[in-house]
Amino acid sequence: MKTVITSTDKSVLNFTELKRYAGLFKYLSLRDVFVRYKQTWMGFGWSIVRPLINIAIFGSLRYLMDRTGNFADNFLLVSAGVVFWQLLSTAIGDISNSLTANSNILTKVYFPKLILPASSLLVCLIDFLIAFVLFFIIFVALKGLPPWQFVFLPLVIVYGLTFSFAIGLLIATASVKYRDVKFILPFLIQILFYASPVFLSSEFILNLHIPEALKVIYQCNPFVFILNAFKYCLYGQFESFSITYAFVSLGITLAMLWSSIRYFLNFEKSFADYI
Amino acid sequence: MSEPAVRIENISKSYKLLHRQKGQNDSIISAFAGGLKDVFKRGEERNSTEEFWALKDINLELNKGDRIGIIGRNGAGKSTLLKILSRIVKPTTGRMEYDGRMASLLEVGTGFHGDLSGRENIYLNGSILGMSKKEIDAKFEEIVAFSEVEKFLDTPVKRYSSGMYVRLAFAVAAHLESEILIVDEVLAVGDVAFQKKCLGKMKEISGQGKTILFVSHNMAAIQNLCNKGMILSGGRVKLGVSEAQHAIKEYMKDSSLLGKTKLINRTDREGEGQIRFENIALVDVDGTELNGAHSGQEINIVVETLIKQSHVTNISLAITFYSDEGIEMLTFANHIADKPFDELHQKQKLVCNVKKFPLTRGEYVANVSIYKDSILQDYIREGFALTVYEGDFYGNGRILPGNQPSVLVDYTWKIQ
Repeated sequence: MKTVITSTDKSVLNFTELKRYAGLFKYLSLRDVFVRYKQTWMGFGWSIVRPLINIAIFGSLRYLMDRTGNFADNFLLVSAGVVFWQLLSTAIGDISNSLTANSNILTKVYFPKLILPASSLLVCLIDFLIAFVLFFIIFVALKGLPPWQFVFLPLVIVYGLTFSFAIGLLIATASVKYRDVKFILPFLIQILFYASPVFLSSEFILNLHIPEALKVIYQCNPFVFILNAFKYCLYGQFESFSITYAFVSLGITLAMLWSSIRYFLNFEKSFADYI
Repeated sequence: MSEPAVRIENISKSYKLLHRQKGQNDSIISAFAGGLKDVFKRGEERNSTEEFWALKDINLELNKGDRIGIIGRNGAGKSTLLKILSRIVKPTTGRMEYDGRMASLLEVGTGFHGDLSGRENIYLNGSILGMSKKEIDAKFEEIVAFSEVEKFLDTPVKRYSSGMYVRLAFAVAAHLESEILIVDEVLAVGDVAFQKKCLGKMKEISGQGKTILFVSHNMAAIQNLCNKGMILSGGRVKLGVSEAQHAIKEYMKDSSLLGKTKLINRTDREGEGQIRFENIALVDVDGTELNGAHSGQEINIVVETLIKQSHVTNISLAITFYSDEGIEMLTFANHIADKPFDELHQKQKLVCNVKKFPLTRGEYVANVSIYKDSILQDYIREGFALTVYEGDFYGNGRILPGNQPSVLVDYTWKIQ
């Protein structure tokens, strides 16, 4: 097998090569899983405790703010958002850091770099599965089994992760050269928390007395549709749904993914020079 | 002639160097203040850039089964060349092609994670180096046996001694299956016995018809392992691929010549720089400067330094001699033989007196280093070169036979 390298080479998505590095992807993913709770007393207990604390905080906050509705309903609605959001936001964070955190490997060995952001997903998913099972038990105890729409759940999770991956990849690539993004990231995640129906429902935002333009922007955020779709799988009905914005958010997600990957590939061969 | 294993055509690599536009930052405060001012300017406008060619127009053909040693001093472009060959960085110009799998070992234990066990790290590191799970499974026993850490396989590697860590890391790398192997100085690790084992393993690998590219400062290792050698200097090929012996000799000749150019002008230094070597000279007891020493002669090594303050305290220095084959012979260190100097003023000279110079006939080079409070201030590889002539060490006219560089000491024999 002959390999030719020239100074004018462009990075492309080479699936046969990615396949050849499947083993590396596996072990890097496993490394992140094994290392996450190493040298903690609770170990994977943290995957249970962290979402429980989050659910408790935001569930009771919701109850304190609005005691009119049914407690169980409000509590579950917020919890669903919080549990799913934890997956989406940690995915953004971990993917964003994946390149700079692995600079020691990046500068010493050749491999398709896309493996690094991709391999940080597994640990987020495992954390999420644990949290979700917990949430699901509470859900069934309070409300009974979910409707048939529950089958769409995996699809919604993939959709959500796709958008998280697109954002994370963009930030990760930029952070190779500009560490500034490290400081922007926490704010971005905080803004997205309020600008998506995690704690504040879409209904609440859309009924606020704010300029229409802001509401349009709000609904263009793909996470709005994604989180509402997540709740749809559990309740069988959308809080607020518009077919236009469903397509808009899908379009934005795909465009974002495409441009993130383009940006990443354009820059990939220079990573070792800048990191 | 068969097809070459690696063909490199016109490979160059340039980096942009940033220069601050105005003002010297000679204190840490002004350096920070300058940085603060720069915050309000953006990007390139705050600095001027200069293009620096780490490699320029490299053309090489490496044949299958050759073990090529790449020789050159610090900053000659050796590492950049290896990084381009192993596809970590992209060349600025040129093209290269190779046949088969290529693996690079630029550091031992790439991607080792301290929290993971030895077993887990074997799989992680192996896959980073490009091995498949099947390959690692097949070689697992061998790797473990080679590394000699069987007992600690399930211990996190952060609890390993540095020797164990390095052994495990090298063991994984040594079992890599690839047609072309790129190795950067990894042999400079571990104890002597393990280094021998590594060299043996590398010889075994090359015996299987694989092409090896090897960078090392250790001429003995290159001589031992490589059949071919090449010299890089200032980013260019100074001596193309030729017989290893020839390349080593050329390099040594070259470096002893450089030893005669003014030491103060050398730029390949390491360390903090509060003290710099200015000149190192060899003089006899009358103070006459010498071109070389005779074995057994009383000599003084006179070291002149440049210090930034009016005086510095707690100074230790060491001069380590190497034979022209790169074998470490002898060290003169004040903090070992005696104790560090309490105080050193500007213009003062450091003098090492040797009653009977102990090296045998041959060419030697020395690495010189100086420390203040145990912090390295200046280090020059091959900062001093020396020719030693035949001399009457034992004062009886007899001379040690043979041409190998060696050390002479005083001793007595008797029958009891």
